[in-house]
Amino acid sequence: MRLARVIAGALLAFFVLGWLLPFWSVVATALKDEIEVRTTIPIVPPSHPTLAPFAKAFDSLKTGLTNSLAFTLLATLLSTLIGSVNGYVLSRVRFRYSDVIFLMLSFGIFIPYHAVAIPLIIVTSKLGLFNSILGMALVHTIYGIPICTLFFRSYLDELPSSILDAARVDGADDLTIYARIVLPLSWPAFIVTAVFQFTSIWNDFLFGVILTKGENQPASVVLANLLGTTSAEWNVQMAGTFLYALPVVVFYLLLSKYLIRGYLTGAVRG
Amino acid sequence: MATGRVYVLYQAFAVFIAVAFFFVYGLIGWNVLLSFTESRGLIISYEFAGLQQYEKAIKDPVLYVALRNNALLISLFIPGSICLGLILAMLLDVMGGKVESALRTLFLLPFSLSFVVTAAMWAWMYNYTFGVANTLLSMLLRGIRVNWLGDPGIAMFSIILALMWQFSGYTALLFSAGIKSIPAEQLEAAKVDGASTLQIYLHVIIPQLKPWILSAFVVLMVFALKAFDFIYVLTNGGPGVSTYVLALLMYRRAFFETDFPYGAALATILLLIVIAVVVPYLVSSLRRR
Repeated sequence: MRLARVIAGALLAFFVLGWLLPFWSVVATALKDEIEVRTTIPIVPPSHPTLAPFAKAFDSLKTGLTNSLAFTLLATLLSTLIGSVNGYVLSRVRFRYSDVIFLMLSFGIFIPYHAVAIPLIIVTSKLGLFNSILGMALVHTIYGIPICTLFFRSYLDELPSSILDAARVDGADDLTIYARIVLPLSWPAFIVTAVFQFTSIWNDFLFGVILTKGENQPASVVLANLLGTTSAEWNVQMAGTFLYALPVVVFYLLLSKYLIRGYLTGAVRG
Repeated sequence: MATGRVYVLYQAFAVFIAVAFFFVYGLIGWNVLLSFTESRGLIISYEFAGLQQYEKAIKDPVLYVALRNNALLISLFIPGSICLGLILAMLLDVMGGKVESALRTLFLLPFSLSFVVTAAMWAWMYNYTFGVANTLLSMLLRGIRVNWLGDPGIAMFSIILALMWQFSGYTALLFSAGIKSIPAEQLEAAKVDGASTLQIYLHVIIPQLKPWILSAFVVLMVFALKAFDFIYVLTNGGPGVSTYVLALLMYRRAFFETDFPYGAALATILLLIVIAVVVPYLVSSLRRR
C-alpha cells in the first residue's frame, strides 16, 4: 500500500505539471511585454512584469464582457426559476404523460444547437430579438429550461414526501406547498443550477456568433475575433483569455462543490 | 379540488414546456423543412425542392473529411479521455484525503472553462516557434519541433490531445464517484484474499464502474459529434480543410456562404446521428428509474 502511494504520487505530480502548464503559460505570457514574449520561452516567468497587455485586452473586451455579464445574469436567474417550477410539477404532481414530457424535455439537453440555428435566426429577427442583449438572455433562458428542470426534478425526487404530505393533510394546496415548503427547501438545487447555468451561458460561443453583431457580441465572440486578427500580439491575446476566463475560474474555485454536483447530476440522469 | 390560485402554477408550467418544445421541436421541424428547399442566397423560399440539398451533401468532398474527423474524435478522443480519466481516478483514490479533493478540483478546472478559452490556451501551447509544446520537446529531444497545428496530417491529433486535457478531469470525476459507491466490504474482502492494489483496481473496481463508463461514453459521444467552438477557434478547420468536423462544415456553408437550405440539410444529418446515439440511452435511463 505504501509503495502504491509513492508510485501514485509520482505519476500524479507528472499529470499536475501537464495540467498546470497551459495555465502557467497564459499567465506568464500575459505579464510580458512584446519583446520579452519573443525573446524568452513561455515557461520562464516575466523578468519585469507589466500590466499593459491587460489594459489593452480589457479595452477591446470591455463591451463584450459587459454584454456577457448582462445576459448571463438575466438568463441564469430566469432559467433557474423556471426549472424550479417545472421540476416541482414533474416531480410532485401526478398527471398523465409526465414521464413522456420529461423525456422529451431531456432530449433538449443533448440536441446540437446547429439543428435549430437557422430557424432561430428567423424567429429572433421576427420577434425583434436578433442582435440584442435581451434576445441573447431569452434564447439562453429557453434552451436552459431542459437542464434546469432536470436539476430540480432530480433534487425534489430525493426529498422525503412525508414533509409535503403533512402539509397536504393540513389543507395546503400545491401553490402554497411550492411557495412555503419546496422553494425554501430547494436552496441547494438553486445554487447547483445557478452555478451551472452561469458558467455554461458565460462560456457559450455558438448563440453569440450567430445571433449578435458588432457592439452586441458577447465576450466569447470578441475574444475569438481578437485571437483571429492580431495573430502577433500573444501577450494581449493571453491577457484577454485570462480576463474572459476569470469570472468562471473564481466561481469554480469558490463553488466547485456545487458545480461538481451539477456535472454529476447531468451525467447520471441525463 | 384545484382552486384558481393553484392553476397559476400549472399554467406557468404549461407555458414553459410549450415554449421549450417550440424552440426545440418546432425549430428542428422548421430546419428539416428548410433542408428540402432550394438555395437562393439570403432569401428563403418554402417551395419543395426535393432532396437536392442532400444530393449536394453527398457530392461535397469536405463532408467526407468532416465525417472522418468526427470518427477520429469518436475512436481516439473518447477512449483516450475514458482511459486517462480512469487512471486519474485510480491515482486520486490511492492518495485519498485532501490531496484527492484538491487535485480533483485542479483536473476538472479545464472542463469548466469555455472552449474559446481552452482553444486560445492551446493555440499558444502549440505555437511553432514560441509554444510550450515545442519548447519542451526541443529541450528533451535535441531540437525536434512538431508543426502541431500547421501540418494537415498532425493537426487533428493535436486537437484530440488538447480535448483529452479538457475532458479527462470530468471523466475522472465520474469514475471517482463510481469508486466511492462501491461497498468497502468488497475491497476489504479482496485485500484479505491477498490481492495487490493493482489487482483490486483491475478486477474488483473497474468492472463495477461500467454504468459510469457508459454515461461518460454518452456524454463524450454527444460532444464528439457536436464539436464546434474549440475547433473553430483553434484551427478554423485548417490547414486547408484537414480539421473540418460536421458542425463546422454546417456553420461555414450556412453562415459564411449563406446557403441556408444546404446548411439546414447538414444540420439535419448531424441531428440524425446524435438522435441515433442519445435516444436509446435516454429511453433506457428512464426505464431504470
